[in-house]
Amino acid sequence: MAPGMNKMPRVHGGLLRVALVAALASSGGTPARAHHSFAMFDTARPITISGVVTAFEWTNPHVYIELDVAEGAKVTHWAIELGSPSILMRGGWKFNTLKKGDTITALVSPLRNGEPGSLLNRVTLADGRVLGNGGPAGIGPGTSTSTPPSQQR
Amino acid sequence: MACVSFAMICARAPDVVGQTTPRPSVAGVWVPFGAGRGADPAVAPPPAGPVALKPAYAKEYLAQRAADAEATKRGEPPPSAAMGCVPYGMPRMMAIASYPVEILETPGQITIITEAFSEVRRVFMDQPQLPMDEVPPGYYGHSVGRWQGDSLVVDTVGIKESVPGYQNTPHSDRMRITERLRLITPDVLHDQITIDDPVVLEKPIVYTLAYRRMPDYKMVEFVCDNNREYVDERGRVRMRLGR
Repeated sequence: MAPGMNKMPRVHGGLLRVALVAALASSGGTPARAHHSFAMFDTARPITISGVVTAFEWTNPHVYIELDVAEGAKVTHWAIELGSPSILMRGGWKFNTLKKGDTITALVSPLRNGEPGSLLNRVTLADGRVLGNGGPAGIGPGTSTSTPPSQQR
Repeated sequence: MACVSFAMICARAPDVVGQTTPRPSVAGVWVPFGAGRGADPAVAPPPAGPVALKPAYAKEYLAQRAADAEATKRGEPPPSAAMGCVPYGMPRMMAIASYPVEILETPGQITIITEAFSEVRRVFMDQPQLPMDEVPPGYYGHSVGRWQGDSLVVDTVGIKESVPGYQNTPHSDRMRITERLRLITPDVLHDQITIDDPVVLEKPIVYTLAYRRMPDYKMVEFVCDNNREYVDERGRVRMRLGR
């Protein structure tokens, strides 16, 4: 028996049982989320940032773009989270799509806590190409092919 | 479904010495898809059945589910094992977002490899299942399989209680997972999963996962070596910055 299970209170009563079962009606055998919820990002208020790439990390569970964003004399360093290499490759990304020194413009969903971290929506590369955050079932908001909320849990 | 319909993917299985019987093959790379994305109803998975926990477990489960939903709404999603790069295990590993699953058929064994977290299951064919109490609890348990008509039937026991269940439901060490894998078309595979747990469930949970074949796809490595998500002292999921 799972830890703690046998400490749960015993509940009897037909009416309660029916109510609990009904409330748990399943939404379907849809895929689980891969790594984590994106609720920490404010997907309702995306922002655009432009800057110079300082690193492009082609890693799991996520790919990251490190970006220096200049506003006048002030430079803010941003971390941008993307999907995984597998998901991104199906959306046209390669491990060497970006390199240190590239100038890019990214539409991102910033962290709700105000820190300079974000989730990529889409990016415009130095050569003008626009890439989203995944393939046919990409992770990021703002791409036309994002996984619908109904499939994320 | 008769194997002859899928001539390109039929295998000839030795059933009796000196004889072979055509049967389907589920070998290949498959990507899960859901029912709600404009999927062809002819191949979409049927709706999942209800999750009916025994009242003693349902009360706590529902409370946790509600609390998690509320926290997520606040932008403070609850942590999970996967967030820490701990593999999903059975049964959830069988459909992780849009990550492919590779199925290999070799004599006496079917091997299932997921791209997400590089999880591996081994299904030992045509063997009796072990008694539950003889299987060391783990993420994948002990699986035996057999062909039953056009379906590959896989029986799994021995899943560690700390491995999150379907929709994060609790489960006991008495959980048994029965899968029926069947080709709906040559390029669509269904895995009907039945979870039975007489300790926790009022009745078995039944749901179906659907997959499309990914011809020529080469599985991508997934080593979780750059995990920037962590849980802070208040239990909130944070993103590590400052590189």
